[in-house]
Amino acid sequence: MAAERLSSIVSQLTPGQKPIDTITQKNPDDVVITLAIRTPLCKAYKGGLKDTPLDGLVFKILEQVVRKSNIDPQMVEDICLGNVSDSKAAYYVRAACLAAGFPNTTAASSVNRFCSSGLKAVQDIANQIITGSIECGVAVGAEHMSTGGDRLTRPFVDDIVHSGTQDAADCLMPMGQTSENVGKDFNITREQQDLYAAESFRRAEAAQKAGWFDDEITPITVKVDGKDVTLTRDEGIRPNTTFEGLNKIRPAFPEFGDRSTGGNSSQVTDGAAAVLLMKRSKALELGQPILAKFVGATVAGLAPRIMGIGPSLAVPKILTKFGLTLDDIDVIELNEAFASMAVYCRDTMKMDYSKMNPRGGAIALGHPLGCTGARQICTGLSECRRRKAKVLLTTMCIGTGMGMAGIFVNEQLD
Amino acid sequence: MLEFRTAGFNPYSVKYSPFFDSRLAVSAGANFGLVGNGRLFILNLTANGIVCEKFFETQDCLFDLTWSEQHENQLLTAGGDGSIKLFDIGVGEFPVAGWQEHSREVFSVHWNLVNKGTFLSSSWDGTVKIWSPERKESITTLPVHSCVYSAQFSPHHPDVVTCVSRDSHLRVFDLRSKPSAQNHLTLAIPIHAPPKVAVPGYGNVSTGPTECLTHDWNKYRDSVLATAGVDGVVRTFDLRVPSGPVNMLTGHEYAVRKISWSPHLSDVLLSASYDMTCRVWTDGSNVDQGGNGAGLGREMGRMDRHTEFAMGVDWCLFGAEGWCSSCAWDERVLVWDVREYMRPA
Repeated sequence: MAAERLSSIVSQLTPGQKPIDTITQKNPDDVVITLAIRTPLCKAYKGGLKDTPLDGLVFKILEQVVRKSNIDPQMVEDICLGNVSDSKAAYYVRAACLAAGFPNTTAASSVNRFCSSGLKAVQDIANQIITGSIECGVAVGAEHMSTGGDRLTRPFVDDIVHSGTQDAADCLMPMGQTSENVGKDFNITREQQDLYAAESFRRAEAAQKAGWFDDEITPITVKVDGKDVTLTRDEGIRPNTTFEGLNKIRPAFPEFGDRSTGGNSSQVTDGAAAVLLMKRSKALELGQPILAKFVGATVAGLAPRIMGIGPSLAVPKILTKFGLTLDDIDVIELNEAFASMAVYCRDTMKMDYSKMNPRGGAIALGHPLGCTGARQICTGLSECRRRKAKVLLTTMCIGTGMGMAGIFVNEQLD
Repeated sequence: MLEFRTAGFNPYSVKYSPFFDSRLAVSAGANFGLVGNGRLFILNLTANGIVCEKFFETQDCLFDLTWSEQHENQLLTAGGDGSIKLFDIGVGEFPVAGWQEHSREVFSVHWNLVNKGTFLSSSWDGTVKIWSPERKESITTLPVHSCVYSAQFSPHHPDVVTCVSRDSHLRVFDLRSKPSAQNHLTLAIPIHAPPKVAVPGYGNVSTGPTECLTHDWNKYRDSVLATAGVDGVVRTFDLRVPSGPVNMLTGHEYAVRKISWSPHLSDVLLSASYDMTCRVWTDGSNVDQGGNGAGLGREMGRMDRHTEFAMGVDWCLFGAEGWCSSCAWDERVLVWDVREYMRPA
């Protein structure tokens, strides 16, 4: 309420200020990002991170945060880990941060909102900074899908199962089935999905060849089959992927439909990403480079059976909150859980495809569940820097029927 | 110049009592009214300067006040929490009555000057409500659908209500008309419409919509009003020819927060602005000044002793006709004579 009174007075002083100017304005109390890095994304079960379980992964990325940011670790008050599959995530992040060089005065916690956990971790730290609970924090997104998923071990209780609410029952629905539901309900054909997937691979391959990922990836050295290996490249990108090749692949969920395949769905991947956040005044005081401003994030709920369309609700919601339109956005990172939802969201929201996932997406790069939210920020900001563009929108669908979206402003424009 | 410091609170509005010539009230809020308590100061002009007779504390900032026309010791406040409270100076530290219907900040309250038995309020929730002190619920709600910064009863007709809002419109409501689909709305004038006569610097074009923060009825000419807002221009309107402003008084460098027509002279008005000045204007309609009844307005003087946004002005009804009071976010209420600041034409 106080914030609304203040912004109404500010708008009386600066009449005609467009919403885009309001969000790109620099204020001392802004939450800013001073570091955004990620590990290479590796194929689960057989890739470079297969022998590095979650605690090892979080340890490696936090080590890099300390090294790359030059921040005095004592300044970091809280670390939030976004992770989906591992119920022990809170133990892992706490032990890992203590081992990685943070003092025991730095706290740690974990959050889980499925595929948006990485963005939720960023939002968690940002909210604490905004309300003054902390002054500086690190948000981590990490997932070790090689260890295995977090399938429910028992059905829901009788109260839920017999509630008669279809939505509650649909929370058990496998993601593949929701993708086929989106494909059928909204008429996204197998052809459209494969074309989209081919383009995602093409863009990722081109970006990797051109070295665009170099400033977002931090190489890490891990053990693979007992030997030390330094990982530097994303492994998911299959070179020379064509529409014809993808079109031959058998459907992955034949009991639910025939449009989603292993080739036009996100890959099962291991990876981690981290974002260092603080107030702008704090960043200036500590001499930290200001990469971007966190403007805001929001979540929207919808029917679990078509969870893939989540971004088509979350994106308009966040744009409305800031008085913006898609024209104000320069780069969009939309998580490609499945080509079905990616095509649906792109076409329903009439997104400019040249702005959306210019470096490919989860179909080519992989979707380490909890990592993605933070990974999108690293990739999106790197692309903004390359294009000298300002406004980044990240968004993803969320299993069990939600969508999340966040807006960032790149400030590294020279 | 007399001065009073509202220490710890930033004033939003100052009004002279209609009953006592030396009594003033100031409504204020802590932390510039953004968050924190509110305070209503009852001030007296004495031989020793301005003395605070009493003050009332409230939970949220007080954005406006109006003296009761029926009771010499009572006054209403407009609260940031959507409440309207009736205080009696002789009674304790709590309000004697309160009304809570607005869902957002109440930006103005005004007592009916002719009828004296009703008052109105306007709010960020986009409504103007008419009330009676005897009734617990509002009598009428006039929908405006845009934050209403200022609403008033006409001093000439007890059933005419005007208001200005964020959507750059001046609306006139006639409560005598049947409600119907229009909800008593008689006129909706776009404030940003081109002026009747080309104004130097503005020509004949529309200036584009601009938030309107304040308005006031002329006390002598019953169809003339003035509005002012974020673009810093004071515009006078004549409801007999409502398609555009008659006069545009330019000069303020930032938004104008409050204007008030003089109770003594039919062509003079005072404005308070975020540019920290309070300025006196004539709208050029005084025939004695050679205006021929339709002249161009001009600035006659300015007082720039405030060191923060000037938020409120009010003319003193009694005594010599130039005295007025202004309040600003520099935590000061100043009482001064306008004639000391007039410049030659």
